[in-house]
Amino acid sequence: MKTILRAVNLTKHFGGLIAVDNVSLDVNAGEVIGLVGDNGAGKSTFIKMISGVYQPDSGEIYFDDQKVTFANPRNARDLGIETIYQDLALAENLDVGANIFLGREIKRRYLGGLINTLDRRKMTNESTGALQRLDIEIPSLFQQVRNLSGGQRQSVAIARSIYWNARVMIMDEPTAALGVSEQRKVLGLVRTLADQGVPVIIISHNMQDVFAVADRIVILRRGRKVGEETAAKTQPDKIVSLMVGAEAVHEMGVIPKELDSNGAKTAS
Amino acid sequence: MSTFTQVTPRVSQKSRAEKLRTIRKIWPWFFLLAMVLVFMVLSKKINNVNFISSRSVQGILVYATQILLIGMAETIIIISGNGGIDLSVHYTLGLSAVISAFIMRALYAANVSPILTIGIGFLGGILICIIPGSVNGWLVSKLKVPPFIATLGMGYVVYGLALVRAKGIQIAEQPPYLGPIGNGSILYYWPSHGVSFFKVPADALPADLAHITPILPNVVLIAMVVAVVIWFILAKTQFGQHIYAIGGNIQAATRAGIPVASTLTRAYILAAVLGGIAGVLWASRFTSGAANAAETGLLMAVAAVVIGGTSMFGGEGTIVGTVIGALIIATIQYGLVVLGMQPYWQYVAVGVVVIVAVIVDQLGRNMEH
Repeated sequence: MKTILRAVNLTKHFGGLIAVDNVSLDVNAGEVIGLVGDNGAGKSTFIKMISGVYQPDSGEIYFDDQKVTFANPRNARDLGIETIYQDLALAENLDVGANIFLGREIKRRYLGGLINTLDRRKMTNESTGALQRLDIEIPSLFQQVRNLSGGQRQSVAIARSIYWNARVMIMDEPTAALGVSEQRKVLGLVRTLADQGVPVIIISHNMQDVFAVADRIVILRRGRKVGEETAAKTQPDKIVSLMVGAEAVHEMGVIPKELDSNGAKTAS
Repeated sequence: MSTFTQVTPRVSQKSRAEKLRTIRKIWPWFFLLAMVLVFMVLSKKINNVNFISSRSVQGILVYATQILLIGMAETIIIISGNGGIDLSVHYTLGLSAVISAFIMRALYAANVSPILTIGIGFLGGILICIIPGSVNGWLVSKLKVPPFIATLGMGYVVYGLALVRAKGIQIAEQPPYLGPIGNGSILYYWPSHGVSFFKVPADALPADLAHITPILPNVVLIAMVVAVVIWFILAKTQFGQHIYAIGGNIQAATRAGIPVASTLTRAYILAAVLGGIAGVLWASRFTSGAANAAETGLLMAVAAVVIGGTSMFGGEGTIVGTVIGALIIATIQYGLVVLGMQPYWQYVAVGVVVIVAVIVDQLGRNMEH
């Protein structure tokens, strides 16, 4: 499988605190990676380094086997590394097409470019195509986004990234604010993306979500990568104990084995 | 795999939301109609006059021009959201009236040709407004001063400077051809002689004037042309779309790469220029310039914008709505005069209408969500 993005030994300090410590990750075409960890484990900081928000103190990032550095999020986006945060960054007063083309509207030129108008029809057609490619159904493209459900909004944000040639998609808690059936739809969409060759890194607290959609699960704890498991060959219990560190503690032989499950429960 | 197929119940609910939105959009039309009907009945009953006549319709349109021009400035700024409002437009109007009156008086005294006198005078009055508009935009977009404060302060600065320049008095002694621009009409219809453009036929005697009907006042035509241009800018251009986007979600607009600061600055300049256009029209209607030309104009204009369905929270509103809002207020003002009531009642009536408009708007919104 082709590796699209490769992060090697990324480290980030904030003052005396090591937020991310020597974390490496390969992102391959077609896979969904679940990035999990307790609060403060370094998930967000790690994501922000590969999306250009933070610059790593040491370590390298390779994109399509080329070494890259990002001065800002724009650099990362220009390569196709798209991040969808929980707030989705949609203008709720505008319709679906206007949101997909937000800031990059298609124009029609008149009088040699003296007067430019918005080509709403073309934007609507293109949006319809983008949504169809992802099997997203939205009752009417002319509705204000605020009248759409949470899952549909999430889909619009995803469709926008895909339309603008996302090569790697990073999603921060995509199911957090959704009802159960909408969660399933969004996870289905994540799978569709991966099947179309766009790898997805999904940050989540929700073990069920992670196991439902991820191929590989990467566990961070206190800034370090403490585990990388194939989803099909592991158990939620194991991931949780890695997240909270029960297994690590247990391996050092400090806590007797029979207290393991109790320890994990109290800590989570 | 089909991702969003089981949403049928939601679909019907959403189309209901769309229907309500349509109703909310067209209700000002019904309100205007109702207003006209009320005045028709009352004026027939009380004064036994017909409220609807070519004279009264044109009178209403003239009343509406200034409200509309300032109202369009407010529409643009209020749509841009984030607390957007421009409390200086009526003072830029005054500034434009004073400056253009000064220029025209000087050029006329220097025997410059009428076309140049009017052209330079109007242009000077309008262009000077780019300065306060730019300052407003800079304060709001770069220094992040809340629009309410930035434009309130700038309004007083402009007002003060205009007063200083005019030494607190009206700038009269205007060229004789100025008044006919502001008070004349495009066509004059004289049943026995036909139609003539821009002026009363030269051979008409004072006794004939009662038979000559002026059609389409110049200021109304100018305001209509400006309204079409502003409608086009807001509804059809990328600049307009960006104003709506900024009003809807300024963070999303920024992240999407929309040049937020320059868009806002251009919006405030456009608003000030609209004030400037209203200012030169004022100068030509009253053949003078005065710093306090539109003292009560601002709040009437904001009222028109609100009645026209523009949301004070930003992101929503239309020029068509503001046109109707301006017509509703002008109908109230003119109607009260026809009924022979004290003109002060207009404030009471407009106040009530604004509050009713906002309540109806909120009801509609609550039902939508």
